[in-house]
Amino acid sequence: MGRENDDLIICRCEEITLGEIRQAIKYGAVDCTGVKRRTRAGLGFCQGRTCEVLVQRIIAQEIGKKPSEIAPSNDRPPVRPLLIKVLEGKEE
Amino acid sequence: MKKRYDVIIIGGGVIGCTLAYFLSRASIDVALIEKGDIASGTSSGCDGNILISDKQPGVDTFLTRESQKLFEQLSFDLPYDFEYMQRGSLLTIESKEEMEIASSFVEQQKKDGYPFRIISLDTLKAQEPHVADDLLGAVEIDCDSAVNPMLFSFATAKKAGENGVDILKDCSVRNINLGKSGGVKEVVTDLGTFRTEKVVNCAGVWAPEIGKMVGINIPIKPRQGQLLVTETTFQVVKRKVMEFGYMMAKFGSGEYKRDVSPDLEKLGIAMVIEPTMSGNFLLGSSRAFVGFNKTISIEVMQGIVRRMVRFFPALRTVNIIRAYAGLRPYVEDHLPIVSAVDRVPGFFIAAGHEGDGIGLAPITGRIMQELLLDKEPPVPFEHLSFSRFK
Repeated sequence: MGRENDDLIICRCEEITLGEIRQAIKYGAVDCTGVKRRTRAGLGFCQGRTCEVLVQRIIAQEIGKKPSEIAPSNDRPPVRPLLIKVLEGKEE
Repeated sequence: MKKRYDVIIIGGGVIGCTLAYFLSRASIDVALIEKGDIASGTSSGCDGNILISDKQPGVDTFLTRESQKLFEQLSFDLPYDFEYMQRGSLLTIESKEEMEIASSFVEQQKKDGYPFRIISLDTLKAQEPHVADDLLGAVEIDCDSAVNPMLFSFATAKKAGENGVDILKDCSVRNINLGKSGGVKEVVTDLGTFRTEKVVNCAGVWAPEIGKMVGINIPIKPRQGQLLVTETTFQVVKRKVMEFGYMMAKFGSGEYKRDVSPDLEKLGIAMVIEPTMSGNFLLGSSRAFVGFNKTISIEVMQGIVRRMVRFFPALRTVNIIRAYAGLRPYVEDHLPIVSAVDRVPGFFIAAGHEGDGIGLAPITGRIMQELLLDKEPPVPFEHLSFSRFK
Protein backbone atom coordinates (compact mmCIF):
# COMPACT_ATOMS: atom_id res chain seq x y z
CA MET A 1 0.00 0.00 0.00
CA GLY A 2 0.93 3.62 0.17
CA ARG A 3 1.09 4.07 -3.59
CA GLU A 4 0.58 7.31 -5.44
CA ASN A 5 -3.02 8.61 -5.42
CA ASP A 6 -4.23 5.73 -3.25
CA ASP A 7 -6.67 8.04 -1.46
CA LEU A 8 -8.31 9.20 -4.69
CA ILE A 9 -12.04 8.42 -4.65
CA ILE A 10 -13.08 6.33 -7.67
CA CYS A 11 -16.62 5.21 -6.76
CA ARG A 12 -18.25 8.40 -5.52
CA CYS A 13 -21.54 6.80 -4.43
CA GLU A 14 -19.83 4.40 -2.04
CA GLU A 15 -16.65 6.46 -1.50
CA ILE A 16 -14.29 3.70 -2.57
CA THR A 17 -10.69 4.77 -3.13
CA LEU A 18 -8.10 3.79 -5.69
CA GLY A 19 -6.12 2.13 -2.90
CA GLU A 20 -9.04 -0.08 -1.91
CA ILE A 21 -9.56 -1.11 -5.51
CA ARG A 22 -5.86 -1.90 -5.93
CA GLN A 23 -6.00 -4.01 -2.78
CA ALA A 24 -9.02 -5.97 -4.09
CA ILE A 25 -7.05 -6.69 -7.27
CA LYS A 26 -4.11 -7.80 -5.19
CA TYR A 27 -6.45 -10.19 -3.37
CA GLY A 28 -7.61 -11.78 -6.60
CA ALA A 29 -10.24 -9.64 -8.36
CA VAL A 30 -9.71 -9.83 -12.14
CA ASP A 31 -12.87 -8.13 -13.40
CA CYS A 32 -15.36 -5.43 -12.40
CA THR A 33 -17.65 -7.93 -10.67
CA GLY A 34 -14.73 -9.20 -8.59
CA VAL A 35 -13.84 -5.65 -7.51
CA LYS A 36 -17.48 -4.87 -6.78
CA ARG A 37 -17.94 -7.89 -4.51
CA ARG A 38 -14.78 -7.09 -2.57
CA THR A 39 -15.12 -3.31 -2.24
CA ARG A 40 -18.70 -2.22 -3.11
CA ALA A 41 -17.34 -0.03 -5.95
CA GLY A 42 -20.29 0.19 -8.36
CA LEU A 43 -22.94 -0.87 -5.85
CA GLY A 44 -24.21 2.59 -4.92
CA PHE A 45 -27.05 4.73 -6.20
CA CYS A 46 -25.68 4.97 -9.77
CA GLN A 47 -24.79 1.25 -9.90
CA GLY A 48 -21.41 1.84 -11.48
CA ARG A 49 -22.65 3.97 -14.33
CA THR A 50 -20.06 6.60 -13.42
CA CYS A 51 -17.10 4.60 -12.11
CA GLU A 52 -17.19 1.32 -13.98
CA VAL A 53 -15.06 2.52 -16.89
CA LEU A 54 -12.49 3.82 -14.40
CA VAL A 55 -12.52 0.53 -12.50
CA GLN A 56 -12.01 -1.33 -15.76
CA ARG A 57 -8.99 0.84 -16.56
CA ILE A 58 -7.50 0.40 -13.09
CA ILE A 59 -7.77 -3.40 -13.29
CA ALA A 60 -6.23 -3.36 -16.77
CA GLN A 61 -3.33 -1.25 -15.55
CA GLU A 62 -2.72 -3.37 -12.44
CA ILE A 63 -2.75 -6.76 -14.17
CA GLY A 64 -1.21 -5.63 -17.47
CA LYS A 65 -4.09 -6.09 -19.89
CA LYS A 66 -6.12 -3.82 -22.16
CA PRO A 67 -9.27 -2.25 -20.65
CA SER A 68 -11.34 -3.97 -23.35
CA GLU A 69 -10.14 -7.35 -22.03
CA ILE A 70 -11.55 -6.67 -18.54
CA ALA A 71 -15.09 -7.98 -18.10
CA PRO A 72 -17.59 -5.32 -17.02
CA SER A 73 -19.90 -6.16 -14.13
CA ASN A 74 -23.12 -8.06 -14.74
CA ASP A 75 -26.05 -5.93 -15.86
CA ARG A 76 -28.85 -5.90 -13.33
CA PRO A 77 -32.31 -4.34 -13.54
CA PRO A 78 -33.69 -1.76 -13.06
CA VAL A 79 -31.90 0.44 -15.61
CA ARG A 80 -32.33 3.43 -13.32
CA PRO A 81 -33.59 3.73 -9.73
CA LEU A 82 -37.27 2.86 -9.56
CA LEU A 83 -39.70 4.00 -6.88
CA ILE A 84 -41.42 1.11 -5.14
CA LYS A 85 -44.85 2.69 -5.60
CA VAL A 86 -44.23 2.82 -9.35
CA LEU A 87 -43.13 -0.80 -9.48
CA GLU A 88 -46.11 -1.75 -7.33
CA GLY A 89 -48.21 -0.51 -10.21
CA LYS A 90 -51.43 0.54 -8.50
CA GLU A 91 -52.83 3.90 -7.52
CA GLU A 92 -53.36 4.34 -3.80
CA MET B 1 0.82 -25.87 -6.08
CA LYS B 2 1.66 -29.45 -5.16
CA LYS B 3 1.22 -32.75 -7.02
CA ARG B 4 -0.44 -34.44 -4.09
CA TYR B 5 -2.86 -33.24 -1.40
CA ASP B 6 -4.33 -34.86 1.68
CA VAL B 7 -7.69 -33.23 0.93
CA ILE B 8 -9.05 -31.49 -2.16
CA ILE B 9 -12.09 -29.26 -1.70
CA ILE B 10 -14.21 -28.67 -4.80
CA GLY B 11 -16.07 -25.36 -4.77
CA GLY B 12 -15.08 -21.91 -3.50
CA GLY B 13 -18.44 -20.82 -2.16
CA VAL B 14 -19.12 -20.21 1.49
CA ILE B 15 -19.12 -23.94 2.37
CA GLY B 16 -15.82 -24.75 0.67
CA CYS B 17 -14.08 -21.62 1.96
CA THR B 18 -15.19 -22.16 5.56
CA LEU B 19 -14.08 -25.80 5.43
CA ALA B 20 -10.74 -24.71 3.91
CA TYR B 21 -10.23 -22.33 6.82
CA PHE B 22 -10.95 -25.00 9.46
CA LEU B 23 -8.70 -27.54 7.71
CA SER B 24 -5.93 -24.95 7.37
CA ARG B 25 -5.44 -25.12 11.13
CA ALA B 26 -4.56 -28.84 10.94
CA SER B 27 -1.16 -29.91 9.64
CA ILE B 28 -2.29 -31.42 6.35
CA ASP B 29 -1.96 -30.39 2.68
CA VAL B 30 -5.19 -28.96 1.33
CA ALA B 31 -6.23 -27.45 -2.01
CA LEU B 32 -9.46 -25.64 -2.81
CA ILE B 33 -10.48 -25.76 -6.47
CA GLU B 34 -12.97 -23.20 -7.79
CA LYS B 35 -14.15 -22.93 -11.39
CA GLY B 36 -14.57 -19.14 -11.22
CA ASP B 37 -13.90 -16.59 -8.49
CA ILE B 38 -14.48 -17.09 -4.76
CA ALA B 39 -18.16 -16.57 -3.87
CA SER B 40 -19.21 -16.14 -7.49
CA GLY B 41 -22.22 -18.49 -7.42
CA THR B 42 -24.92 -18.82 -4.80
CA SER B 43 -22.78 -17.16 -2.11
CA SER B 44 -23.09 -13.82 -3.90
CA GLY B 45 -26.71 -14.30 -4.98
CA CYS B 46 -28.16 -14.44 -1.50
CA ASP B 47 -28.61 -12.59 1.75
CA GLY B 48 -26.47 -13.09 4.83
CA ASN B 49 -28.78 -14.43 7.49
CA ILE B 50 -27.96 -16.82 10.28
CA LEU B 51 -31.45 -17.47 11.55
CA ILE B 52 -33.03 -19.98 13.83
CA SER B 53 -36.35 -18.16 13.37
CA ASP B 54 -37.14 -19.86 10.07
CA LYS B 55 -35.97 -23.36 10.96
CA GLN B 56 -38.00 -26.45 11.72
CA PRO B 57 -37.84 -27.43 15.39
CA GLY B 58 -35.30 -30.14 16.14
CA VAL B 59 -32.10 -30.83 14.23
CA ASP B 60 -32.56 -27.91 11.79
CA THR B 61 -32.73 -25.37 14.64
CA PHE B 62 -30.00 -27.08 16.67
CA LEU B 63 -27.44 -27.01 13.84
CA THR B 64 -28.12 -23.36 13.10
CA ARG B 65 -27.81 -22.36 16.75
CA GLU B 66 -24.44 -24.15 16.94
CA SER B 67 -23.42 -22.31 13.77
CA GLN B 68 -24.42 -18.97 15.30
CA LYS B 69 -22.03 -19.60 18.19
CA LEU B 70 -19.25 -20.46 15.74
CA PHE B 71 -19.85 -17.25 13.75
CA GLU B 72 -19.49 -15.22 16.90
CA GLN B 73 -16.18 -16.95 17.59
CA LEU B 74 -15.04 -16.46 13.98
CA SER B 75 -15.78 -12.74 14.22
CA PHE B 76 -12.97 -12.63 16.81
CA ASP B 77 -10.67 -15.22 15.20
CA LEU B 78 -10.57 -14.02 11.60
CA PRO B 79 -8.43 -10.93 10.96
CA TYR B 80 -10.76 -9.66 8.19
CA ASP B 81 -14.06 -7.92 8.77
CA PHE B 82 -17.16 -9.64 7.42
CA GLU B 83 -19.85 -7.32 8.84
CA TYR B 84 -21.01 -9.70 11.56
CA MET B 85 -23.99 -8.37 13.47
CA GLN B 86 -26.22 -9.93 16.06
CA ARG B 87 -29.43 -7.98 16.12
CA GLY B 88 -32.07 -10.70 16.40
CA SER B 89 -35.02 -11.14 14.11
CA LEU B 90 -38.81 -10.80 13.98
CA LEU B 91 -41.54 -12.86 12.33
CA THR B 92 -44.63 -10.73 11.77
CA ILE B 93 -48.03 -12.27 12.44
CA GLU B 94 -50.97 -11.04 10.40
CA SER B 95 -53.92 -13.29 11.22
CA LYS B 96 -55.48 -15.23 14.09
CA GLU B 97 -54.63 -18.50 12.39
CA GLU B 98 -50.99 -17.47 12.09
CA MET B 99 -51.04 -16.48 15.75
CA GLU B 100 -52.24 -19.97 16.69
CA ILE B 101 -49.61 -21.74 14.60
CA ALA B 102 -46.93 -19.31 15.82
CA SER B 103 -47.89 -19.88 19.46
CA SER B 104 -47.43 -23.63 19.31
CA PHE B 105 -44.22 -23.17 17.27
CA VAL B 106 -42.85 -20.79 19.91
CA GLU B 107 -43.84 -23.15 22.74
CA GLN B 108 -42.00 -26.01 21.05
CA GLN B 109 -38.86 -23.90 20.47
CA LYS B 110 -38.92 -22.57 24.05
CA LYS B 111 -39.24 -26.10 25.39
CA ASP B 112 -36.11 -26.98 23.42
CA GLY B 113 -34.34 -24.06 25.11
CA TYR B 114 -34.29 -21.42 22.35
CA PRO B 115 -34.98 -17.72 23.01
CA PHE B 116 -38.33 -17.34 21.20
CA ARG B 117 -41.19 -15.16 22.43
CA ILE B 118 -44.37 -13.59 21.11
CA ILE B 119 -44.66 -9.80 21.34
CA SER B 120 -47.76 -7.64 20.96
CA LEU B 121 -48.38 -5.15 18.19
CA ASP B 122 -47.59 -2.30 20.60
CA THR B 123 -44.22 -3.76 21.49
CA LEU B 124 -43.56 -4.48 17.82
CA LYS B 125 -44.49 -0.89 16.88
CA ALA B 126 -42.19 0.47 19.57
CA GLN B 127 -39.31 -1.53 18.08
CA GLU B 128 -40.17 -1.13 14.40
CA PRO B 129 -42.33 1.99 13.92
CA HIS B 130 -42.80 1.44 10.18
CA VAL B 131 -44.75 -1.84 10.36
CA ALA B 132 -48.38 -1.83 9.21
CA ASP B 133 -50.99 -0.98 11.87
CA ASP B 134 -53.18 -4.03 11.35
CA LEU B 135 -50.71 -6.75 12.35
CA LEU B 136 -51.31 -8.86 15.46
CA GLY B 137 -47.76 -8.93 16.74
CA ALA B 138 -44.60 -10.88 16.05
CA VAL B 139 -42.31 -13.68 17.12
CA GLU B 140 -39.06 -12.25 18.46
CA ILE B 141 -35.76 -14.16 18.46
CA ASP B 142 -32.80 -12.41 20.08
CA CYS B 143 -29.92 -14.63 19.03
CA ASP B 144 -30.31 -14.32 15.25
CA SER B 145 -27.43 -12.73 13.40
CA ALA B 146 -26.14 -11.85 9.94
CA VAL B 147 -22.94 -11.45 7.94
CA ASN B 148 -21.93 -10.16 4.53
CA PRO B 149 -21.70 -13.54 2.75
CA MET B 150 -19.15 -12.44 0.17
CA LEU B 151 -16.84 -10.82 2.71
CA PHE B 152 -17.16 -13.91 4.92
CA SER B 153 -16.18 -16.19 2.02
CA PHE B 154 -13.26 -13.91 1.10
CA ALA B 155 -12.15 -13.72 4.75
CA THR B 156 -12.11 -17.49 5.26
CA ALA B 157 -10.46 -18.16 1.88
CA LYS B 158 -7.82 -15.49 2.47
CA LYS B 159 -6.97 -16.78 5.94
CA ALA B 160 -6.92 -20.38 4.68
CA GLY B 161 -4.50 -19.27 1.95
CA GLU B 162 -2.26 -17.55 4.47
CA ASN B 163 -2.26 -20.75 6.53
CA GLY B 164 -1.00 -22.74 3.54
CA VAL B 165 -4.09 -23.95 1.65
CA ASP B 166 -3.64 -23.68 -2.14
CA ILE B 167 -6.61 -21.71 -3.48
CA LEU B 168 -6.86 -22.53 -7.20
CA LYS B 169 -9.31 -20.18 -8.91
CA ASP B 170 -10.55 -20.23 -12.52
CA CYS B 171 -9.86 -23.94 -12.44
CA SER B 172 -12.57 -26.46 -13.35
CA VAL B 173 -12.61 -30.07 -12.25
CA ARG B 174 -12.76 -32.24 -15.38
CA ASN B 175 -12.82 -35.66 -13.82
CA ILE B 176 -12.19 -37.69 -10.69
CA ASN B 177 -10.27 -40.92 -11.18
CA LEU B 178 -10.89 -43.84 -8.86
CA GLY B 179 -8.30 -46.45 -7.91
CA LYS B 180 -8.59 -50.23 -8.31
CA SER B 181 -10.33 -50.56 -4.96
CA GLY B 182 -12.95 -48.00 -6.02
CA GLY B 183 -11.68 -45.17 -3.81
CA VAL B 184 -10.69 -41.64 -4.82
CA LYS B 185 -7.25 -41.50 -6.46
CA GLU B 186 -6.86 -38.37 -8.62
CA VAL B 187 -8.61 -35.12 -9.48
CA VAL B 188 -8.17 -33.97 -13.09
CA THR B 189 -8.41 -30.19 -13.49
CA ASP B 190 -7.62 -27.34 -15.89
CA LEU B 191 -4.36 -26.85 -14.00
CA GLY B 192 -3.29 -30.48 -14.07
CA THR B 193 -3.94 -33.77 -12.28
CA PHE B 194 -3.59 -33.94 -8.51
CA ARG B 195 -3.24 -37.09 -6.44
CA THR B 196 -5.43 -37.29 -3.38
CA GLU B 197 -7.36 -39.84 -1.38
CA LYS B 198 -9.99 -37.43 -0.09
CA VAL B 199 -12.25 -35.13 -2.06
CA VAL B 200 -15.01 -32.95 -0.60
CA ASN B 201 -17.77 -31.93 -2.98
CA CYS B 202 -18.79 -28.42 -1.87
CA ALA B 203 -20.17 -27.45 -5.27
CA GLY B 204 -23.68 -26.47 -4.12
CA VAL B 205 -26.13 -26.49 -7.03
CA TRP B 206 -23.35 -27.96 -9.19
CA ALA B 207 -22.68 -30.82 -6.74
CA PRO B 208 -24.65 -33.35 -8.87
CA GLU B 209 -22.22 -32.73 -11.79
CA ILE B 210 -19.26 -33.59 -9.57
CA GLY B 211 -21.17 -36.60 -8.18
CA LYS B 212 -21.59 -37.99 -11.70
CA MET B 213 -17.80 -38.12 -12.06
CA VAL B 214 -17.73 -40.86 -9.43
CA GLY B 215 -20.98 -42.48 -10.56
CA ILE B 216 -23.35 -41.28 -7.86
CA ASN B 217 -26.61 -39.41 -8.11
CA ILE B 218 -26.83 -36.43 -5.71
CA PRO B 219 -30.45 -35.24 -5.36
CA ILE B 220 -29.85 -31.47 -5.30
CA LYS B 221 -31.67 -29.11 -7.63
CA PRO B 222 -31.52 -25.32 -8.06
CA ARG B 223 -34.37 -23.36 -6.47
CA GLN B 224 -34.15 -19.82 -7.72
CA GLY B 225 -34.73 -16.79 -5.53
CA GLN B 226 -34.77 -13.10 -6.41
CA LEU B 227 -33.87 -10.16 -4.18
CA LEU B 228 -34.23 -6.40 -4.54
CA VAL B 229 -31.87 -3.78 -3.12
CA THR B 230 -33.12 -0.39 -1.97
CA GLU B 231 -31.19 2.86 -2.03
CA THR B 232 -29.69 3.94 1.30
CA THR B 233 -32.58 5.60 3.06
CA PHE B 234 -34.31 6.07 6.45
CA GLN B 235 -34.12 3.17 8.90
CA VAL B 236 -37.00 1.10 7.56
CA VAL B 237 -36.18 -1.70 10.04
CA LYS B 238 -33.51 -2.12 12.68
CA ARG B 239 -33.29 -5.89 12.41
CA LYS B 240 -34.26 -8.70 10.10
CA VAL B 241 -38.04 -8.91 9.69
CA MET B 242 -39.99 -11.54 7.80
CA GLU B 243 -43.56 -12.67 7.69
CA PHE B 244 -44.46 -15.77 9.66
CA GLY B 245 -45.91 -17.11 6.41
CA TYR B 246 -42.33 -17.33 5.06
CA MET B 247 -42.14 -20.71 6.77
CA MET B 248 -45.14 -21.86 4.78
CA ALA B 249 -43.53 -20.79 1.51
CA LYS B 250 -40.36 -22.59 2.47
CA PHE B 251 -41.68 -25.83 3.87
CA GLY B 252 -45.18 -26.06 2.35
CA SER B 253 -48.08 -24.91 4.41
CA GLY B 254 -50.23 -27.84 5.48
CA GLU B 255 -53.81 -26.66 6.01
CA TYR B 256 -53.28 -22.95 6.45
CA LYS B 257 -53.31 -20.55 3.49
CA ARG B 258 -52.13 -16.96 3.64
CA ASP B 259 -54.47 -14.27 2.34
CA VAL B 260 -52.45 -13.61 -0.82
CA SER B 261 -53.21 -13.66 -4.55
CA PRO B 262 -52.70 -16.93 -6.47
CA ASP B 263 -49.89 -15.18 -8.37
CA LEU B 264 -47.92 -14.51 -5.20
CA GLU B 265 -48.50 -18.07 -4.05
CA LYS B 266 -47.34 -19.44 -7.40
CA LEU B 267 -44.14 -17.34 -7.36
CA GLY B 268 -43.42 -18.48 -3.79
CA ILE B 269 -43.30 -14.91 -2.55
CA ALA B 270 -42.96 -14.18 1.15
CA MET B 271 -41.92 -10.90 2.77
CA VAL B 272 -38.37 -10.61 4.05
CA ILE B 273 -36.46 -7.41 4.75
CA GLU B 274 -32.87 -7.28 5.90
CA PRO B 275 -30.90 -4.20 6.94
CA THR B 276 -27.28 -4.25 5.74
CA MET B 277 -24.18 -2.60 7.14
CA SER B 278 -24.02 -0.36 4.06
CA GLY B 279 -27.42 1.19 4.81
CA ASN B 280 -29.29 -0.45 1.94
CA PHE B 281 -32.12 -2.89 2.60
CA LEU B 282 -32.54 -6.26 0.92
CA LEU B 283 -36.12 -7.15 0.01
CA GLY B 284 -37.33 -10.65 -0.81
CA SER B 285 -38.24 -13.37 -1.30
CA SER B 286 -39.24 -15.77 -4.06
CA ARG B 287 -38.89 -19.48 -4.79
CA ALA B 288 -39.06 -21.22 -8.15
CA PHE B 289 -37.73 -24.32 -9.88
CA VAL B 290 -36.53 -22.92 -13.21
CA GLY B 291 -33.33 -24.87 -13.72
CA PHE B 292 -30.19 -22.75 -13.75
CA ASN B 293 -32.02 -19.66 -14.98
CA LYS B 294 -31.01 -16.52 -13.06
CA THR B 295 -33.02 -14.03 -15.09
CA ILE B 296 -34.83 -11.37 -13.08
CA SER B 297 -38.53 -11.25 -13.88
CA ILE B 298 -40.69 -8.16 -13.58
CA GLU B 299 -43.54 -10.32 -12.19
CA VAL B 300 -41.39 -11.43 -9.28
CA MET B 301 -40.03 -7.90 -8.66
CA GLN B 302 -43.58 -6.59 -8.62
CA GLY B 303 -44.81 -9.47 -6.45
CA ILE B 304 -42.07 -8.83 -3.91
CA VAL B 305 -42.79 -5.10 -3.58
CA ARG B 306 -46.56 -5.67 -3.40
CA ARG B 307 -46.06 -8.08 -0.50
CA MET B 308 -43.46 -5.75 1.02
CA VAL B 309 -45.70 -2.66 1.19
CA ARG B 310 -48.46 -4.71 2.83
CA PHE B 311 -46.15 -4.93 5.86
CA PHE B 312 -44.17 -1.69 5.38
CA PRO B 313 -46.32 0.91 3.57
CA ALA B 314 -43.64 3.57 4.13
CA LEU B 315 -41.40 1.80 1.61
CA ARG B 316 -43.50 3.19 -1.27
CA THR B 317 -41.34 6.33 -1.42
CA VAL B 318 -38.06 4.39 -1.54
CA ASN B 319 -36.15 3.51 -4.72
CA ILE B 320 -35.08 0.06 -5.85
CA ILE B 321 -31.57 0.34 -7.32
CA ARG B 322 -30.82 -3.28 -8.10
CA ALA B 323 -32.29 -6.76 -8.41
CA TYR B 324 -30.44 -10.06 -8.48
CA ALA B 325 -31.11 -13.77 -8.38
CA GLY B 326 -29.42 -16.76 -6.81
CA LEU B 327 -29.84 -20.51 -6.99
CA ARG B 328 -30.45 -22.32 -3.73
CA PRO B 329 -29.17 -25.90 -3.64
CA TYR B 330 -32.45 -27.54 -2.71
CA VAL B 331 -32.86 -31.00 -1.17
CA GLU B 332 -36.33 -32.43 -0.75
CA ASP B 333 -36.19 -32.83 3.04
CA HIS B 334 -34.67 -29.33 3.51
CA LEU B 335 -31.57 -30.70 5.23
CA PRO B 336 -28.07 -30.46 3.77
CA ILE B 337 -25.91 -33.45 2.87
CA VAL B 338 -22.80 -33.46 5.08
CA SER B 339 -21.49 -36.95 4.70
CA ALA B 340 -19.05 -39.55 3.50
CA VAL B 341 -20.21 -41.71 0.60
CA ASP B 342 -19.94 -45.39 1.50
CA ARG B 343 -19.77 -46.61 -2.09
CA VAL B 344 -16.85 -44.35 -2.99
CA PRO B 345 -14.22 -44.35 -0.25
CA GLY B 346 -12.63 -40.92 0.09
CA PHE B 347 -15.53 -39.06 -1.52
CA PHE B 348 -17.36 -36.62 0.78
CA ILE B 349 -20.28 -34.26 0.23
CA ALA B 350 -21.00 -30.93 1.95
CA ALA B 351 -23.78 -29.40 -0.15
CA GLY B 352 -27.53 -28.98 -0.45
CA HIS B 353 -28.13 -26.27 2.15
CA GLU B 354 -30.99 -24.63 0.19
CA GLY B 355 -31.30 -21.09 1.60
CA ASP B 356 -29.27 -21.79 4.72
CA GLY B 357 -25.76 -22.22 3.33
CA ILE B 358 -24.36 -19.05 4.84
CA GLY B 359 -25.86 -19.76 8.24
CA LEU B 360 -24.84 -23.41 8.30
CA ALA B 361 -21.35 -22.97 6.80
CA PRO B 362 -19.39 -23.04 10.08
CA ILE B 363 -21.13 -26.06 11.60
CA THR B 364 -20.87 -27.84 8.24
CA GLY B 365 -17.15 -27.05 8.16
CA ARG B 366 -16.65 -28.33 11.69
CA ILE B 367 -18.52 -31.61 11.07
CA MET B 368 -16.66 -32.19 7.80
CA GLN B 369 -13.30 -31.31 9.34
CA GLU B 370 -13.71 -34.05 11.95
CA LEU B 371 -14.98 -36.59 9.39
CA LEU B 372 -11.93 -35.93 7.22
CA LEU B 373 -9.54 -36.24 10.14
CA ASP B 374 -11.25 -39.46 11.30
CA LYS B 375 -12.44 -37.88 14.52
CA GLU B 376 -15.84 -37.58 16.16
CA PRO B 377 -17.82 -34.55 14.88
CA PRO B 378 -18.85 -32.03 17.57
CA VAL B 379 -22.60 -32.57 17.06
CA PRO B 380 -24.77 -35.50 15.95
CA PHE B 381 -24.91 -35.53 12.15
CA GLU B 382 -26.68 -38.75 11.14
CA HIS B 383 -29.67 -36.77 9.76
CA LEU B 384 -27.31 -35.25 7.20
CA SER B 385 -26.04 -38.56 5.89
CA PHE B 386 -25.99 -39.30 2.16
CA SER B 387 -27.29 -42.81 2.87
CA ARG B 388 -30.73 -41.36 3.75
CA PHE B 389 -31.41 -41.28 -0.01
CA LYS B 390 -32.13 -44.54 -1.68
